[in-house]
Amino acid sequence: MSILAIETATQVSSVAVLTDGKLAAELTMQAKLTHSETLMAHVEQAMKMAGTKREEAEAIAVSIGPGSFTGLRIGLAAAKAMSYVWEVPLLGVPTLEVLAQHFWSTDAAIFPLIDAQKGNAYVQPFSARAGRLRSEGPIAVKSLSEILEEAGEEQGPVVLLGDMLRKIEGKLTLPANVHIAPLHLRMPRAANVAVLGAARLAAGEQDNVMDLEPLYIRRSEAEVLWEKRHGEGKA
Amino acid sequence: MDEILTLGIESSCDETSAAVLRGGREVLSNIISTQIPVHQKFGGVVPEIASRKHIVNIMPVIDEALRKAGVTKADIGQVAVTYGPGLVGALLVGVSAAKALAFALDVPLLGVNHLEGHIFANFLQDKSLEPPFLALVVSGGHTALVDVADYDTFRLLGQTRDDAAGEAFDKIARVMGLPYPGGPEIDRLAKEGDPLAIDFPRALDKAGSSEFSFSGLKSAVLAYLNSEKMKGHEIHKANVAASFQHSVVEVLVHKAFDAAEQAERKTLVLAGGVASNSNLESRLMEEARKRGIRFQYPGRILCTDNAAMIACRGYYQARAGHFSDAYLNAVPGLSLGV
Repeated sequence: MSILAIETATQVSSVAVLTDGKLAAELTMQAKLTHSETLMAHVEQAMKMAGTKREEAEAIAVSIGPGSFTGLRIGLAAAKAMSYVWEVPLLGVPTLEVLAQHFWSTDAAIFPLIDAQKGNAYVQPFSARAGRLRSEGPIAVKSLSEILEEAGEEQGPVVLLGDMLRKIEGKLTLPANVHIAPLHLRMPRAANVAVLGAARLAAGEQDNVMDLEPLYIRRSEAEVLWEKRHGEGKA
Repeated sequence: MDEILTLGIESSCDETSAAVLRGGREVLSNIISTQIPVHQKFGGVVPEIASRKHIVNIMPVIDEALRKAGVTKADIGQVAVTYGPGLVGALLVGVSAAKALAFALDVPLLGVNHLEGHIFANFLQDKSLEPPFLALVVSGGHTALVDVADYDTFRLLGQTRDDAAGEAFDKIARVMGLPYPGGPEIDRLAKEGDPLAIDFPRALDKAGSSEFSFSGLKSAVLAYLNSEKMKGHEIHKANVAASFQHSVVEVLVHKAFDAAEQAERKTLVLAGGVASNSNLESRLMEEARKRGIRFQYPGRILCTDNAAMIACRGYYQARAGHFSDAYLNAVPGLSLGV
């Protein structure tokens, strides 16, 4: 039996097939093609190359954000449709945790950063001592300078990863304890989604295929503007 | 083929819809979840909010379409989906779901042009309708005259050079303080007004041209509203609505029938959201009788954005062997015909 995993929260398009405790296939790309073009073609190819038949799928795991609103919806719409047709569990996995999973055992504090536009990032600190990944705070939207300041104040080393690094690398002087993840551990990958999804499945968890939404964190700009103009939320 | 079940999916703007069609013309279900109340307070469709609603509504709508049709997933023979024109983020929800459904079910996928879908709504309205005919497409984003030679050959005779008729309706409604969507409000208000009260221009109303332009008319109405306000006159909204609508409708009616006669078509069909305008329907009907041309328009449900018309268009594409592959993408600016 296989878990099909999908990752489309950032520019990376990634699909993985986890079969009986073996990572049977992973197709990861970061090219100029849109997720809409690549995702289903990759799902088809990954399943075919892994020798996984449709009826062998036991769950669909999907990275649910935060990230690109459109990218998240492409991945989630596809995941929902397959979960619905095959009648298998749908497992949403938070994208910042997918990133942090790269560093599953380290003394460093892990700061995954996903671009939230206008110089801001979605961020959530993680620790991963002795192979146990743990979130050390809620998901927040913070400015880069704020994040670097917090990272500099950490007692031990800090590792930064995520698509926000493209905007930092070579442009800012980092505090001495702050390090940037190497390229192969920098972006979200579907293998991580599969592993985290498998853990949820083993714990007997699943999401509702009818109403699961991406983890947007941010509201749409139109709503924010409307409420500003109409004075809601002041009280 | 004639009994094949087509699952249609539509999410190009502010309705999420799924439908099941048997063969080319028998609608087994046509579920439409509208977001109009959600967008009302913004005075128009907000793309990001529309996309957020689609991703929540898409599976319940599909599930209900199958249940109402009394069929199972395994009965579906092919999946048809709108891939443009429309709002890109909104389109992508339907396209992504449809591609995954087709893959999961191991059935063919059909990417459908939304405007062709509107024209094909007429096949569902009248099961005896066959091409060739002329189509007048009038929607929120489009105004076009299309010669439909057969099920797969569309010739664009002319379209709007600027605003679509529906855009002009919405804009004027907004300036007059009518609630969104403005088209039906103007239609309702116009019934109480005098269509000849104000002489608004009928732009590009030249014989022989199949091109439309509504921005001049829109500006004239806005200028009129502004100058009346400056003069301190109270605006007779019903008369403005009736006179404006009259200008739009007369242009549409004359151009449509002139084009039909030029193309030597004996049938004219109306398609698109503005097709539900009661004045446009009655004037086209009246003119058709006069000119001896058969005229047809879809019922209320089939005029709005709905998945049954997408399934119908998809069915005829499949019959002609025009399938899509896993690389199908949303094309927000997709045009009509050749």
